[in-house]
Amino acid sequence: MRKVWVVIRREFTEKVRNKWFIISTLLVPLLMASAIVLPILLAERGGGHRAIAVIDMTTTEFGLHVTDRLDAAERVTATRIKTEVVDMEETADSLTELVGLKRLDGYLVVSDETVEDGRAEYRGANISSLTDMQAMERLLRQAVLVERLDRVGVDPELVQRAQIPVTMQTIGIRGGKLTDESGEARFFFAYTVWFVLYIAILIYGVQVMGSVVEEKTSRIIEVLVSSLRPFQLLAGKVLGVGTVGLFQFMIWGVSAWVLIRHRDVVLGVLGIEVPTGSGFRLPNVTAGTLAIIVTFFLLGYFLYAAMFAAVAAMSSSEAEARQAQTPVVMLLVLPSVLLIGLLQQPDSVLAVTLSLIPFSSPIAMPVRWAAAEVPLPEVLASVGLLLIALWLVTWIAARIYRVGILMYGKRPNLKELLRWVRTA
Amino acid sequence: MNGSGLVVEIQGITKRFAGHTAVRDLSLSVRSGSVYGLLGPNGAGKTTTIRMIMNIIVPDKGRVTLFGGSATGRDLSSKIGYLPEERGLYKKMKVFDLVVFLAEAKGVDRRSAKHDAHLWLDRLGLSDWEQKKVDDLSKGMQQKVQFISTVLHAPELLILDEPFSGFDPVNTQLMKNVVVEMARAGTTVLFSTHIMEQAERLCDSVCIIARGQKVVDGPLAEVKRNHGGSHVIVAVEQGNAEVDRLLQDPSLVAKADNYGQYAEVELVEGGDAQQLLHRLVSTGARVGRFEIAEPTLHKVFIDLVGREAAEARAEEVKTDA
Repeated sequence: MRKVWVVIRREFTEKVRNKWFIISTLLVPLLMASAIVLPILLAERGGGHRAIAVIDMTTTEFGLHVTDRLDAAERVTATRIKTEVVDMEETADSLTELVGLKRLDGYLVVSDETVEDGRAEYRGANISSLTDMQAMERLLRQAVLVERLDRVGVDPELVQRAQIPVTMQTIGIRGGKLTDESGEARFFFAYTVWFVLYIAILIYGVQVMGSVVEEKTSRIIEVLVSSLRPFQLLAGKVLGVGTVGLFQFMIWGVSAWVLIRHRDVVLGVLGIEVPTGSGFRLPNVTAGTLAIIVTFFLLGYFLYAAMFAAVAAMSSSEAEARQAQTPVVMLLVLPSVLLIGLLQQPDSVLAVTLSLIPFSSPIAMPVRWAAAEVPLPEVLASVGLLLIALWLVTWIAARIYRVGILMYGKRPNLKELLRWVRTA
Repeated sequence: MNGSGLVVEIQGITKRFAGHTAVRDLSLSVRSGSVYGLLGPNGAGKTTTIRMIMNIIVPDKGRVTLFGGSATGRDLSSKIGYLPEERGLYKKMKVFDLVVFLAEAKGVDRRSAKHDAHLWLDRLGLSDWEQKKVDDLSKGMQQKVQFISTVLHAPELLILDEPFSGFDPVNTQLMKNVVVEMARAGTTVLFSTHIMEQAERLCDSVCIIARGQKVVDGPLAEVKRNHGGSHVIVAVEQGNAEVDRLLQDPSLVAKADNYGQYAEVELVEGGDAQQLLHRLVSTGARVGRFEIAEPTLHKVFIDLVGREAAEARAEEVKTDA
């Protein structure tokens, strides 16, 4: 097996030295860092500050109350403009002009009808900001509620007490024990697992394909097979690229962990004040979860790498291989797309089925595991089926590979492929 | 190495591909220390035969024995230097790393692979290019790298498939020198070619194949003798009537041109030059020169393969009818 080791080492060092590997390895942590820093930076640099006018056509104090509430809100300054109903359009026109000049973000129109039937209007340049609009609507709703209750003579203190908001915190249960992770964090984690596994299996599988095609098109394969068994070559290649994948994800994982864990330091270095209260909770990744992810990644990667290698062996050029890979890619993409809709229903029949079928289980099972609790027998059954499929697929792929690497010219049809498998 | 044993022994190998038979019932043997030429026109089955020797493809029938044992070409890759007809290198790799990798793939340990790589790259004038990518090298330099990876591990058997095609003349000469030097040092060389002049100068034994079948094999001199050797140059001191009569004997001589100083004699088909010499001596004349003028290997090749091809074509017509 020394020769397999020689192939692994070449595959690893050549891939790691490649400038694209270096660029992508460094770029991802950079992106992660900016994903942490940018939102805070934007919020801080007044990007979120809104100047709003309130056109008040009411005959009561209501307009004043609304303005006060808006003005009291974070990052908003509100100015009240008292108008008669007949002058409203004129006032509105000049305010619209101000918005056009970017001196104002927008203006809210309130009248007596606002309290009666809840109708108000906001005109502004920032209406696409969903959070801004929701916040404004919420404030307006509260003001209307207070006003209505006040009119029917409810004690203002009672109204205030009735307005104390409800917040529900979600806490996951795992293995019969409470965890300290929230539903949000868990969903986010499951989504990350889905994304990472899908991308990883695809990227590194395609790399194996590229490597096989390169050996074929450069014709070095003839020299290689005179000293290495095709299976040694294939195994070395798959293991070598797989090691590159693990290595790259280890770098990314560690840098993500460091960035999130030591966010304060990162922000401090950049001279940004650390916002309070909005801490991003690191999902609770146990050793068991990590083991499941790595196991399924490796098995899934081997499965797809073998298929990609067979596809490459059938093709005579890179372009041809890219065409021929479609069925293999579809096998990976289709269940993955289905799965993203199932992130919120990890125990549905479809999700369970996908986590047992060998071609989708490498992604489906870890995602389910990340999203909810999965009974151990199901995990074992999934691994077992995957191992059987892996053995079968590798056996077939190795035979196709063995014959294919020395064949040039027309791509074989299904009948010829079957003959390759039988005679190899 | 085992003195005068057989390094390569092929017994009745046959390989069929979809639709046609590439090699049919071919047997040959290469003795240790010899330079053996596998000769044939394009498409004769030379590459298929060599691939079967290397166990890259498996014969449908027959057996290949290397170094007298049952190990295959791949298992013995540390003892064999193989230069395929289809040549290629990893374009993105550094020259030195590539040479070391290919040696390691043959089973050479890393340290001696590195040591020998420096040695050979230096010897062929590539030491300044060690850390360059293969892609940055000229075609001629890439050919040198290819050749280095064939000989770096000091193989006991060199198998070269069409080594003289595709290389530029300077590299061809360089390579030939190295091969001859290795052959002198005891390395067995088996190479295929369709260029007879090259084979004639290098080989001591040949096997000519056409359409997947052996036409003739054996030591070069023997092959030439058996397929030609019908011209004899004769010069006798003090010629006599008996000599003149002998040179006109239709049972032995087809044609004789006497130039005075010497005569060029063409023997009848199947005529034995030794018999002519014997009878010349028994006339009592003093023989000053007796030389069997050998045909070139090229002539032998054309004679045999031309005839073979003609026969095969006739066969085809017959089966088509």
